Amino acid sequence: MKRWLVALLLLGLSALAQEALKVGVVVSATGPAASLGIPERNTFLMLQEMLDRTGGVAGRKVQFVILDDASDTTQAVRNTRRLVEEGVVAIVGTTTTPASLGMIPVVAEAKVPMISLAASKDIIHPVDAQRFWVFKTPQTEELMARAIVADMVARGVKTVAYIGFNDAYGEGWARFFETEARAKGLQVVASERYARTDTSVTGQVLRIIARRPDAVLVGASGTPAVLPQRTLKERGYAGLIYQTHGVANPDFLRVGGKDVEGTLLPAGPILVAEQLPSAYPTKRVALDYIQRYEAKYGIGSYSTFGAHAWDAWLILKPALERALKRADPAKDLAAFRSALRDEIEATRGLVATHGVFTFGKDEHLGLRFEDAAVMVRVEGGRWKLERTFR
Amino acid sequence: MDATILSFLLLDGLQNGVIYGLLALSLVLVFAVTRVILVPIGELLMFAPLSLVWLLEGKLPGTLWLALALGGAWALMARGRGVLLPLAGGVGLFLLFLLAKGVPPLAYLAAVLLVVYLGVATYRVFFQPMRGATVLSLLIMAVGLHVAYQGLGLVFFGPEQFRPAPLLAGEVVVGLSWQGVLVLLFAALSLMVLYLFFRFSLFGKALLAAAENRLGARLLGIHPEEAGMVAFGIASLLAAFSGLLLAPLINAAYFMGFMLGLKGFVAAILGGLASYPVAFLGALLVGFFESFTSFYASAYKEALVFLLLVPALFYQSLRARAVEE
Amino acid sequence: MRYLWFLLLLLPLALFPFPYYLTLLNFFALSAMVALSLYVLTGLAGMTSFAQAAFMGMGAYATALLTVKVGLSPWLGLGAGLLSALLLALLLGALTVRLKGHFLPLSTIAWQVALYILAGNLVGLTGGHTGLTDLPPIHLFGISLDTGFRYAFLTLFLLVLLVLALYNLRQSRIGRALLALRGDALAAASFGVDPAALRLKAFLLSGVIAGLAGFLYAHFLRFVNPTPFSLEASIKYLVMAVAGGVGSIPGVMLGAAFFTGLEDWLKDLLPLLLGRQGNYETIGYGLILALILILAPKGLWPMVERYLPSRDPGLPKAEPLPLKSPDGPRGEVVLEVQGLQKSFGGLMAVAGVSFDLRRGEILALIGPNGAGKTTLFNLITGTLVPDGGRVFLFGREVTCLPPHRVHLLGLGRTFQHPHLFPELTVLENAALGTFARTRAGFPQVLLGLHRREEERALATAYGALRRVGLESLALERAERLSVGQQRLLEIARLLASGAEVLLLDEPAAGLRAQEKRELASLLRSLAREGYTVLIVDHDMDLIMGLADRVVVMNYGEKIAEGTPKEVQRNPLVRAAYLGEEEVA
Repeated sequence: MKRWLVALLLLGLSALAQEALKVGVVVSATGPAASLGIPERNTFLMLQEMLDRTGGVAGRKVQFVILDDASDTTQAVRNTRRLVEEGVVAIVGTTTTPASLGMIPVVAEAKVPMISLAASKDIIHPVDAQRFWVFKTPQTEELMARAIVADMVARGVKTVAYIGFNDAYGEGWARFFETEARAKGLQVVASERYARTDTSVTGQVLRIIARRPDAVLVGASGTPAVLPQRTLKERGYAGLIYQTHGVANPDFLRVGGKDVEGTLLPAGPILVAEQLPSAYPTKRVALDYIQRYEAKYGIGSYSTFGAHAWDAWLILKPALERALKRADPAKDLAAFRSALRDEIEATRGLVATHGVFTFGKDEHLGLRFEDAAVMVRVEGGRWKLERTFR
Repeated sequence: MDATILSFLLLDGLQNGVIYGLLALSLVLVFAVTRVILVPIGELLMFAPLSLVWLLEGKLPGTLWLALALGGAWALMARGRGVLLPLAGGVGLFLLFLLAKGVPPLAYLAAVLLVVYLGVATYRVFFQPMRGATVLSLLIMAVGLHVAYQGLGLVFFGPEQFRPAPLLAGEVVVGLSWQGVLVLLFAALSLMVLYLFFRFSLFGKALLAAAENRLGARLLGIHPEEAGMVAFGIASLLAAFSGLLLAPLINAAYFMGFMLGLKGFVAAILGGLASYPVAFLGALLVGFFESFTSFYASAYKEALVFLLLVPALFYQSLRARAVEE
Repeated sequence: MRYLWFLLLLLPLALFPFPYYLTLLNFFALSAMVALSLYVLTGLAGMTSFAQAAFMGMGAYATALLTVKVGLSPWLGLGAGLLSALLLALLLGALTVRLKGHFLPLSTIAWQVALYILAGNLVGLTGGHTGLTDLPPIHLFGISLDTGFRYAFLTLFLLVLLVLALYNLRQSRIGRALLALRGDALAAASFGVDPAALRLKAFLLSGVIAGLAGFLYAHFLRFVNPTPFSLEASIKYLVMAVAGGVGSIPGVMLGAAFFTGLEDWLKDLLPLLLGRQGNYETIGYGLILALILILAPKGLWPMVERYLPSRDPGLPKAEPLPLKSPDGPRGEVVLEVQGLQKSFGGLMAVAGVSFDLRRGEILALIGPNGAGKTTLFNLITGTLVPDGGRVFLFGREVTCLPPHRVHLLGLGRTFQHPHLFPELTVLENAALGTFARTRAGFPQVLLGLHRREEERALATAYGALRRVGLESLALERAERLSVGQQRLLEIARLLASGAEVLLLDEPAAGLRAQEKRELASLLRSLAREGYTVLIVDHDMDLIMGLADRVVVMNYGEKIAEGTPKEVQRNPLVRAAYLGEEEVA
């Protein structure tokens, strides 16, 4: 009942005012991926406030329709259909790889451009008829794996072990990391799996320790990534421990405490923005985002994941401006969505918080390894820039 | 597989197994006395450490309001003197929480009492009115409450994990922390206390009698309602302590309780939901089995633990007849 | 009347301008199918399952694998989906339908969780949690069903067909047998139902229905991963069925509609109420389930049903089933009991009892309480397995046969406490007796091919009711009968079965004098027609006036046999009833 009234009101209001541009947003604000999704959602809430103050894009109001998929793919697919039907011009999301993959056929069929906030390369590669419509802002695991392996090689590591989630995130990491490691001459001596909800990984850790690797990579994200690391420490493992960029948030540090001191991880440069050399291309944009986010949500509250959302908008905004010159969503929504997609793909050299984006016909990630990854170490409960790759 | 690894796996299996064992005992006790399969026991287990974390940060956890709400419902449903217990308990609990904000020793006590109150109120409000229902209806109700409590856990505590400080830091020997030793000691102590209680105390024996034969127990003056509340109270107490002891070892999050409860439940089934010693041994078996399968086939460890249930249930069914009396 | 369900097909047209609601409509149809599978399994057969989503998953993954990995047509995927759901049900069912009471649902929890974990971990096969994408849409008559609008017609149409098939099921011998089995397996076996086999078939049907829903789900979303087939999903479907009223078709449909809409509404409402984003609707489910279980344990539908006009099915008019009158010479031995023994622990309940029963006679079995008479009945009918001794029926040994097999050979019984089914009508209760004489199996019933046989069965039952004088109550629910009428109904059920040898356990208990006289005259006329009656009772006047011969038991042994007069004069008999007399 309520929905009908709201729909009628909106219909009426929008008939009076000029058509607002609707941008759909799907994030995992609850469920296991919530620590990634909440900052993303907060970023869009912040953007909504900003745009309401400044009047929108090219004189038109922008409305973000934000939906939560609870880290569940089916929910994400349903939300996507709903957004498509509500007439959004583009969809940003979602937070997790499996859910993003599930959304692809829907946006492809509906011909709506999508900018994903999830990690896996499979989301945008290869650019086939469906992925024609899909872009993404976070670094792929392939790119981050390259960073990790480069760091390992530089430190003289010869043998490595892997323990990761038994889902798309962990599987993707396992695949790309092990390929890259072998390509650079490292020997992978163990490859274990565990579930996000596990309370003990003793068996897996013991198997790893038995092989005595020089380094161990934990392929997990959020607070569940602490468990294997702590277990390794407790069982006396003394080698290097690497994590993925999925742990680059304050909750990991909070729950990990002393057990995660000395962890090495690749991260988007924004994680240690103040520590970057001043010539680093993304430093200024990153600090700008941090300042805005902390002004609204508190000091120390920003995260790399929220920054991916910001990057999505940095790409989307100029693309919208250019597309509005070519088509009018009110008159022909399908043509506008198509034009918008073209303009997103036309992005060249856009400086964002995580790197410099240049898309192309076959390149829907658009990040260069040298700009988009740095190695970070956990020291004293804080993130410390270890090295860049420029 | 060498001796060190074997000992690690055994220790790990033991540590997990005793917790599953305590949960299994609670499940068998509650089932025997009330015919309820207490699916939400996992949520009760998790509420303790999560509420503790909140208190230690100086905040009142949402579980307090849930407990008071249920206590209020209980008071409304009770008549005459029966109103005193929920009201007194609720007021006392509230005052304790106010005092315990940020005070560790009181906070631990408050967390335990909260879960006990919540458990007893759960029985009184949801299960006692259904006393005559079939085991199946009670099971469905229990599942419904599990779902609701888990959802409320998300509302109250958010999706992330928390790590309260261990009561005893440091390690005895590599692979066994002092906290782990505490867990084992607590399990042993609980087993002894429960044994003494059921064997030698009048109320304990009465409780067992009520489990065997409810009508007979009533005729002898033992109130089934009291028996039910005590059973739920004991189960909640065990769950609360287990949660508080375990949380520093495994982190606490709103969704973790269910898996722990399910494993305790597998153990209880191994004991046919009737035998305490078999259930506890079954729990140790589950713990060891889990430990070793996680070593050999980590991805399938949980599937295998659940498939353990199949031969157990099959065995139970062979003892029963295809045509019911 | 039931064809009104086809009106559902108008819904997509009404919702055409709202694509989001079309999506919801499809989800409703799929949930309703799974809820209907629970109607069969729980509502009819009385087995609760927390694993329906696993069967759904089987159907979904089978078609996903065939269409995505092998590239075959979705129609082959349908076949594979149904077949794999069937095989899974067969495997699980064979092991678990024998479980007593609550062990069965517990085992379904185990299967459900184990299968979910396997689906998530066999990454090479199922794609793990990432799942399988790009399933092709279904093509029907050249049209690609790739929008919510078009797909809704398919799902709703199949849903209505399923509803009609299940109405057929309910009004058939199988439906009645399932309801009987659920309440009272003992009684059901006594009129020819093989409990384990029937339960298994119900389990299979329920699994296949859920598998069909899974197939449709897969080609709707065109994406498959383990999450929609988890324990949480199974619980959701069970909640839908139970909340709506698992005992009726409109009930589960109502539950499915209610919760599909509620889920969506709660998703919007709760974040507003709680002031923050999140999926809190699980709290709503749990609380609503709790409330319904306390306030409306039979679900919402019975509350709605009260306000609807009820239909009168009318009295049966067809020809009764062909009845084989008892033939064969009077006095021929039909039942032979040799040295039956049974002990329970240390107690010897039946200690070597032997006697014969001859065609056309009424034999009374009497003895003080605790003499072992009902145990003897149970030994003869196969409900209990004797420790020693043998039983022959029409010359065939039946000693260790299960009760339903014994019944099929021509022996029927009533019970000390009437085992009737209060929710069925009197006519349906009597019709239960015809189970052994009718043939229609699941396929015929679901397709509606059993109508003629069904009408004849009902007519037979009606005839039996007329025989015992209950025909005026035929359309009443059995729970409204008095004790005396209940006993007569049990006898009617027995008569409808055409069994020749009737074992009556205290049929006169609780009857008034007039009713007892009518019962006696009924039994006498049956005996004249060639039926053979073995009756246990305590009313001496009735027995002595009715029986041709009497067997007396005490402490598990036969202490006397003969005509009523002979037995009355027997000092052992008097001692047994009145205690030891002083030896005169």
